[in-house]
Amino acid sequence: MADAGRKPHKPMDRRNNFYSSSSSSYSNSTKYRNSNYPKPSVSSRDSSWITPTKKSTTRNWDSDDGRRNDNDDGHQDYPTLVGTCPFMCPAEERARRERLRDLAVFERLHGNPAKTSPNLAVKKFCRTISIKDVQASDVRPVPVLEDTLNYLLNLLHSSDQSFAVVHDFIFDRTRSIRQDLSMQNAVSDQVIHMYERMVKFHIISHRHLYRSFGNPNVASVCHLNMEQLMKALTTLSNLYEANRASHSMCQNEAEFSSFYLLLHLGSDKQVEPLSLWFRSIPSPIMKSKEMCFARRLLRYYRLGNYKRFISTSEREASFLQYCIIEPYVNEVRMLALSCLSYGGYKLQPYPLLHLSKLLMMKESDVESLCADCALETSSDGTGKGLVATKQSVIKKSSGGFQKYYPMESERIERLCTELPEL
Amino acid sequence: MAAYVSMGEAHRRITEYLNRFSDAVSYQDGKTLSRLVSVSSDAAVLVSLAEALNTFQDANRLFRQSEKYSQYADILLPMFRALQSYRLRNLVESYLAFEKASNAFLQEFRNWESAWALEALYVIAYEIRILAEKADIELASIGKTPEKLKGAGSFLMKVFGVLAGKGPKRVGALYVTCQLFKVYFKLGTVHLCRSVIRSIETARIFDFEEFPVRDKVTYMYYTGRLEVYNENFPAADHKLSYALTHCNAQKEANIRMILKYLIPVKLSIGILPRQLLLDKFDLNEYSDVVLALKRGDLRLLRHALQEHEDRFLRAGVYLVLEKLELQVYQRLVKKIYIMQKQKDPNKAHQIKLDVIVKALKWLEIDMDLDELF
Repeated sequence: MADAGRKPHKPMDRRNNFYSSSSSSYSNSTKYRNSNYPKPSVSSRDSSWITPTKKSTTRNWDSDDGRRNDNDDGHQDYPTLVGTCPFMCPAEERARRERLRDLAVFERLHGNPAKTSPNLAVKKFCRTISIKDVQASDVRPVPVLEDTLNYLLNLLHSSDQSFAVVHDFIFDRTRSIRQDLSMQNAVSDQVIHMYERMVKFHIISHRHLYRSFGNPNVASVCHLNMEQLMKALTTLSNLYEANRASHSMCQNEAEFSSFYLLLHLGSDKQVEPLSLWFRSIPSPIMKSKEMCFARRLLRYYRLGNYKRFISTSEREASFLQYCIIEPYVNEVRMLALSCLSYGGYKLQPYPLLHLSKLLMMKESDVESLCADCALETSSDGTGKGLVATKQSVIKKSSGGFQKYYPMESERIERLCTELPEL
Repeated sequence: MAAYVSMGEAHRRITEYLNRFSDAVSYQDGKTLSRLVSVSSDAAVLVSLAEALNTFQDANRLFRQSEKYSQYADILLPMFRALQSYRLRNLVESYLAFEKASNAFLQEFRNWESAWALEALYVIAYEIRILAEKADIELASIGKTPEKLKGAGSFLMKVFGVLAGKGPKRVGALYVTCQLFKVYFKLGTVHLCRSVIRSIETARIFDFEEFPVRDKVTYMYYTGRLEVYNENFPAADHKLSYALTHCNAQKEANIRMILKYLIPVKLSIGILPRQLLLDKFDLNEYSDVVLALKRGDLRLLRHALQEHEDRFLRAGVYLVLEKLELQVYQRLVKKIYIMQKQKDPNKAHQIKLDVIVKALKWLEIDMDLDELF
């Protein structure tokens, strides 16, 4: 994705400088998405991400000029970095943070804010890193990163801290893992699997955060989580693409592609319109069960078919898919109320009981939702009903936190209690 | 394989080329110059030059010998290498050399007054894209990262920068923009188009009407496509229609490409193309879609989408066509209304939902009352 922060490459020493290599103008044209090696997409804030590239086979074919022209290969200047740090946190950083008492709750030895150990300290995410200054001893190699990830994700079930605290820690430390991975330009099935797990973490967090709507701080945490989710997912798609050349499709690619699609159901400004994204998806993935499900939901959403949107989600969504879909369900419900309120017949209120089955909510929740949307309900002998007043629901500011109404469904409840393995 | 050329003959050919090149520059003969730099073409002069270069390995010496030629050494030495490599099918090496030559050419171009060399610059811009595409194919086939096209994009941005000024050279900017569009569309990095589009449309130095028609058509075609992807149908209609009206009527392939995107747009605003049009330009994938809209036949629409799914997905119009379902419903309901009205004008303004369900069932669509609502 975006390489907004790439530093221009330092040109190799040239003895003859009558030409200007096109790579010196690299910084002019900024974002190139489609390179086939993994790059986490960089937000404009992370201004100093540098991604080293594969080592080029330096060719000396240019016998006339008698000098190396590696620089002409664009960005194939730097050899691949391979980390050598054997710990979850480089020793230097560990010592520094002990001194500064900058230790997270999970890193403290016996609760001491100034003492940690190699088993507890985990490398923090650092914004300002320039590839020139990075030492191999500060970077963790892939096996160590995997162990680190295992340790972190384990905290989700094993810790007694609140979710917010655990999330915060894992959020930051996995970001650092991704940073180390990208610096080493690692592409392998193992790496792909690591990214998949991190994406899953963000999806689960997304649901947790969405449900705790009461807390005002949560909105910004939710937004940041979504940002990292998208970045990780984008890197993952790049990895899938890079891997495709060497071997067959990764078995999970269909599932994760469906996540991407579901995350883009709404048409709020996207970097890349869905139509364009579809072009880059190979046919077998498009026809996979997960993608067909996601595409159907997309269709129902765009056509305003609230009934099928809700019923299909309930019937077929996997837990992780449901986590992503849940915020849209509420939106769709409000659309339904809007349609019924507008299109109904004034003298015949639409029974809430029926509505509750349609929208898969408790009847009392339906009533609350109507109240939230400033729609009238009335009651008569047989029960409560939604009064059609030719009023459509004005959608609240998108992204704003709406009250969350759970889905009345045995299947969904069951799904939500069985947490997936990370 | 290349024909064998004697040393003397090789020397002669190379010198002849050098003379032509330097004369073209001296006399500001843009047309000749452009013919001399189209590396990937099969022009006789270039094929014979390539053969000569295979024999006469030390072209460097020729440059050093004569003052007349040495000033163009930066451009032509790499150009020769690019040509040779191209003929020997070393596409990556060809691209790299051509990039160097192009950069040198651009430096010279900056210094030349007036826009006499624009045509040659166009050829350079075209060639660099084509060579980059071929180089990337070669890279991918040996399992390496294909990133030459990206580099070509960088270069084209530089060219754009050179042309974006007050002088007469600025009319070339649209051509370069279109080359950039082609690069970005191929790479899938379509969002990069935004900055060039902004420059063209808002910079005061550019007057859109001044650009050559051919470039305007291409520009409108690509920006129209972007509007289609973003589902801005009025804008898409305006741009693609402009491209259609101004397109040379004889360029049928181009017209077909424009129509491929214009038709879904028109369908979305309720304008149906005639079957004759679809037949003439071989766009029959839309036939059933059109028919479905006319008849209010939901089953046919879904069937058509399924049958040509891959094609529509690749074109990026699938989602647009899917949304036509709403219009098909409208048409169906309207038909029912008309029929009912004929039977009983008094009750015409209310249609029983059951009737609609029946109609849909007949079409094998399974929908219950709730969904219909």
